[in-house]
Amino acid sequence: MTDATVTEQTVTLEVARYRPEQDERPTFQRVEVPYRPEWVVLDALNYLKDEVDGTLSYRWSCRMGICGSCGMMVNGVPKLTCAAFLRDYYPGPIRVEPLANFPVERDLVIVLDDFMGKLQAVKPWIIRDVERPLEEGEYRQTPAQRANFEQYSMCINCMLCYAACPVYETNEEFIGPAALALAARYNLDSRDQGNRLRNEVVWADDGIWDCTFVGECSTVCPKHVDPAGAIQQAKVESTIGWFQSLVMPFGGKSAKE
Amino acid sequence: MARPYPRTVSKTWWLKRWPYRIFMLRELSAVFVAAYVVLLLVLVTKVHDGASAFEGYLDTLQSPVFIGFHVVALLFVMLHAVTWFQAMPKGLPIRRGEERVPPAAIIGASYAGWLVVSVVVAAIFLL
Repeated sequence: MTDATVTEQTVTLEVARYRPEQDERPTFQRVEVPYRPEWVVLDALNYLKDEVDGTLSYRWSCRMGICGSCGMMVNGVPKLTCAAFLRDYYPGPIRVEPLANFPVERDLVIVLDDFMGKLQAVKPWIIRDVERPLEEGEYRQTPAQRANFEQYSMCINCMLCYAACPVYETNEEFIGPAALALAARYNLDSRDQGNRLRNEVVWADDGIWDCTFVGECSTVCPKHVDPAGAIQQAKVESTIGWFQSLVMPFGGKSAKE
Repeated sequence: MARPYPRTVSKTWWLKRWPYRIFMLRELSAVFVAAYVVLLLVLVTKVHDGASAFEGYLDTLQSPVFIGFHVVALLFVMLHAVTWFQAMPKGLPIRRGEERVPPAAIIGASYAGWLVVSVVVAAIFLL
């Protein structure tokens, strides 16, 4: 087998480039790369950087759908490029852009500060009214209690859902799908007592109530977290909470608190 | 040198991809549902006004414009109904112990429930 026969087939990549020191706005670089059916878009980008143009910038790490770094727009749809096979786009051309709805730092690298801030805002950690002393042992949980939130704990913070969300596109203040799904992950955890704190953000106007249920966040999610489901269920809970605060003394309390 | 290129916000985002177009049609369906309800309420007032008013209204509804409206409204109501049932498992998931009831089962049960209610309503008015 010679390399020549293998590399006969090629596919065209249209890669977004933005070099702030020289470019006024992002442009596209057209590059022919070898077509291999087992290659993913990330492999093609690595080939491009190694063999054609070393100045290309992009994020990646694990190349197996765990780290959540290599999210980009592939032909206009948010994808983990490590899971987007060239064969599904052949004969191309394949257009690779940085994740939509975020500022572009350089080439395919986005500025993710906004997401990091929103992630922190929903306090994605276990909150206790009073921490139990270490000698009293761990907080125990039944498999059923764990199953209650497990799906939401699969989030890898890849931000594909933010790139797919037209509500986030048109309103930067929206807390967004992943942060709200992670709020659900902790709100539904039997060991956690932080619902009230978290829901100050989650139940607010720019929390769940900005969501118009387009549902694309759940469609593009590579880990089947279903943020759209988490948000709609939180809307139900928030509505019940609102009625409770109307009819119950002292604002009413949810069962878990 | 950091000089981030600002995020782009487009007014035509809903034209970009089919899932967004269907979302917009789903939202638009509410307008047609509301318009149909208005026609129905007018019908009720005509019934109140007597037989000739009712007959006159039925004649008006048989004009091509109103028949066209009803065809379009029916299509939008069907889109509304289908997307509503599809949304059921997201808003009201059901858990049995550690297992999640499959979304398809929840959607199927919703359609089955709808069928039962329809049959009951039809039986009440037709029998």
